Amino acid sequence: MQSQTDSKRWLTASGIPLKDFYLPSDIPDSHRKVAETAPGEPPFHRGAYPTGYRTKPWRIFQLSGFGKPEDENERIKFLLEQGETGFLMEHDRNTADHLYNVDHPEVAARREDVGLTGAVMQSVRDIDICLKDLPIDSTYGHAGGAVVQHAPFALAGYWTVAQRRGYDLKRLPGTGQSDYFLTYLGCVTKQQVPTDAGLRLNADIIEFCNEHLPRWVPVSIAGYNGADSGLNAPQELGALFANAVEYLEEIKRRGRMPLAQAARACGGVSFRISMDVFEEASKLRAARLMWTQLLKEHYDIADPKVSNLRIHVVTAGSRMQYQQPLNNIVRGTLMGLAAVLGGVQSLGVSGYDEALSIPSEHAHQMSVRIQQILQQETNIAAVTDPLGGSYYVETLTAQLIERAWAFFDEIQRQGGFLACLDSGWLHQQAAENQHKEFLAQAEGLQQIVGVTDHTDDISPFEVDGFMGVDDAYDVALERLNTVRRERHEAGARGAMQALEQACRNEDNIMPAMMAALNAEVTLGEVGDIYREAWGDWATPIQT
Amino acid sequence: MSDVPSPEQNKRILMAKTGLDGHWRGPTIVATALRDAGFEVIMIGMVKAEEVVQAAIDEDVDLIGLNIGGHIDVAVRAVQSIQKSCQGVPVFAGGVVPPHAKRKLEALGVEVYPPGSQLPEIVSAARRLTGLSGA
Amino acid sequence: MHDPQVIDTTRELFEEARRGDRRSLAKLISAAERGEALPGIPVASQDDDACLCIGITGAPGAGKSTLVSALTQELLTVEPSAAVLAIDPSSPVSRGALLGDRVRMQSHSMAQNVFIRSMATRHHHGGLALATQSARRLLQHCGWPLVLVETVGVGQVELDVVKTADVIVVVLNPGWGDEIQANKAGLMEVADVFVINKADRPGLESTRRDLEAVLLNRRAANRPIIVETVASKGLGITELAGAVAKVRRELSSNGALATRRIEQLALELEQQVERHLQAALTSVRQGKVFEDSLQRVAHGQDSVAAAASQLAAQVWGRLPEHGNP
Repeated sequence: MQSQTDSKRWLTASGIPLKDFYLPSDIPDSHRKVAETAPGEPPFHRGAYPTGYRTKPWRIFQLSGFGKPEDENERIKFLLEQGETGFLMEHDRNTADHLYNVDHPEVAARREDVGLTGAVMQSVRDIDICLKDLPIDSTYGHAGGAVVQHAPFALAGYWTVAQRRGYDLKRLPGTGQSDYFLTYLGCVTKQQVPTDAGLRLNADIIEFCNEHLPRWVPVSIAGYNGADSGLNAPQELGALFANAVEYLEEIKRRGRMPLAQAARACGGVSFRISMDVFEEASKLRAARLMWTQLLKEHYDIADPKVSNLRIHVVTAGSRMQYQQPLNNIVRGTLMGLAAVLGGVQSLGVSGYDEALSIPSEHAHQMSVRIQQILQQETNIAAVTDPLGGSYYVETLTAQLIERAWAFFDEIQRQGGFLACLDSGWLHQQAAENQHKEFLAQAEGLQQIVGVTDHTDDISPFEVDGFMGVDDAYDVALERLNTVRRERHEAGARGAMQALEQACRNEDNIMPAMMAALNAEVTLGEVGDIYREAWGDWATPIQT
Repeated sequence: MSDVPSPEQNKRILMAKTGLDGHWRGPTIVATALRDAGFEVIMIGMVKAEEVVQAAIDEDVDLIGLNIGGHIDVAVRAVQSIQKSCQGVPVFAGGVVPPHAKRKLEALGVEVYPPGSQLPEIVSAARRLTGLSGA
Repeated sequence: MHDPQVIDTTRELFEEARRGDRRSLAKLISAAERGEALPGIPVASQDDDACLCIGITGAPGAGKSTLVSALTQELLTVEPSAAVLAIDPSSPVSRGALLGDRVRMQSHSMAQNVFIRSMATRHHHGGLALATQSARRLLQHCGWPLVLVETVGVGQVELDVVKTADVIVVVLNPGWGDEIQANKAGLMEVADVFVINKADRPGLESTRRDLEAVLLNRRAANRPIIVETVASKGLGITELAGAVAKVRRELSSNGALATRRIEQLALELEQQVERHLQAALTSVRQGKVFEDSLQRVAHGQDSVAAAASQLAAQVWGRLPEHGNP
């Protein structure tokens, strides 16, 4: 073991070589001046606001959802009571991500899966049940729609419920996601609209929000989903900004809204934070700086209100281990700490039973508790950017920026972010990293406590994860049939035709989508319209 | 290269995902490791039980690997279909399999490799299950 | 020459396969893949117009699987059934392979009138084309007259496979001017139909121009048809099926199909002979005589040419005719 320690090369998780310690002279000249700025000042790498968490604690924002809409409603209420400060609606992935109703053969064949990853919401009625008694006018809500093709439906559903409750959309806070990393890289669905159609949907959402929902964050680019598929820290950064460029170029090409507005709309992003504490904290600092650089250099946008990146973080689900799951509470804490040290605005900590199932109620509570302990007991909220000025962290921040731009440039050389998803190039980068990591584990170069090492477990009880809800499928099917029976059929048909028209011409799809939701058009019907209009994405993934 | 299998030993493994869950990291790593160990790995994506059976028959495979990402009953149904229609073809499984689900599958004679399983372990199981010596 | 039990098993499987049992057919194809001679299975009638083998080739990433899937769908509107042999390369290091074509053919996964088989190249000399030929013959005997063979068009081995097809389709993408210029593996000479797939991508026009320029070298009478498709969206597939049908009609009417089938058989024969030679050579290579010759050459007691001649005689002695396959 001695020789192994001696010969060990000390690297960051992404492979940046590390010195024994750092001196002021290690900080690259180009970064030194930048390092002397204060938090809240461009280029913002030291933090979005000068007063940091004193005035604005990070938002405790957990993924939540399962079963029937009323089960999910109950869980959201539970989390809000526990101290969560925003809520996140998860739609059942089998139905939502694919735009299938529950009677689609692919879903019916896996009926027990339904409701396991979120509530089934096939019409505006289901969304209404899920949002029952929730303060959507004042609480920051995530409407779901993580997958690109699902977002217009999920958003229109949320907004329709808000309108029906008499709320002014102009004042409605919240977000969706419509994330390319999840959709085309992290969790590739069986059927999905092609990337160019997806770009059009996202641009439509951005434009629609600009006009009608100024407080809504229309899209949220989630590097998380790239990173948890295997992209390393600089790759996650480079790819995320390459994604932003695709959105901005599309908005620019359309020329229907000011680019600065679009940049602001794209400036709420999410990253993954994994176990390399300092690299991950530095990554968030790097991200803020890169965003100001990108907007200044590519789009001549320097307005600090626009170029101040807002960051949501989810701790790495893939780092939560199956073996000795209680260890994951410690991992969640450390990753949460790294995120906070990096200056996040919003944080979700993965459940300790992540490798077993979606979070059980207890795992959910623990995720909130971890964040509360960080906020209330550690005094970490007292000073903004506590890592600022560390020779090591400033050097690492500068190194990450340099490597991330190199990756960004490579993506542009390969034809841009969408082209790299279509060709599978990004998947290949991610897979290569994963493969290396597995080999490192097999060779004993990377150790995971409880998995590759220290495998004895004297835990007195077994963690078995979340068991699901028995009646989710049956209730969803019954409700689907009820909607079909009770809705004004001619109205629904008309709305579907209008939606189909909108898909085929260049109009913004969202007004037609709002009308469709209002007319109780169902999820699967929207999917059929898309599939007819655009066909399927030719996935480069072979599993 | 003495451990390279001869063409006679080209064992074929079918890899399928029983759920509609598109996480591809795990299955890809496993498939690559099996390829690197000399197996021919046929991937068929997210499929229903009867599709696994059809592919297993047409492809004349020696082993079936199921990636499980959802309710255990869905996976159990797939295993039962395979055992009914592809007698003698062994099944092993990986993915998100909590302890109670693992026990259910093992009771059906399925070897289960939950997250955290190491690749050499999985490869040697594939060797053993396809009847190759030197496992 | 053959173990009677093997013959019995093969015959039994063949009878079952002809009665429509897919499991037996699949096992026979496995035997063909292993290079087994399949005693007792006759050669199909070479002038049988009901049979057709369409070879589809192109570089990795061209979208072949998606195209084959869509083309199969289209062909089934007029044909009762279709079989697909999807061939991917084996790893030169491990000899293993990742065969992922079925993922893109999922729409046929439960179709009783579609038979899909994934095959790895397995690196046996000349063997892939032989295995493909045997598999195709088996399929055609067992009620699958229409066979699509999909292969990565990268090397000589794959080119041989393509040459076993009656109609050859080469798949390109927009922006692949260099590929055309490089005339990969002689594909430009053998193609009957060129498909520019992913035609909604930039660079379509220039690719088409490059292609047309290169094809000017071929006689107008057998100049290939160019079709543009977006397979993932089902665009241009009817046109592709139409082009294949047109080629098929022409080949039938001018007798070229019969000529091609004879050429296919010639190739098969040649490769079968090569296989015997290879086996005999391998056996000699492993023997004492080879070692002795090598030592003599190494010590200057014999010339390479003379030693080779003697060894060739040894090889000759080990050929099947001499009772030692």
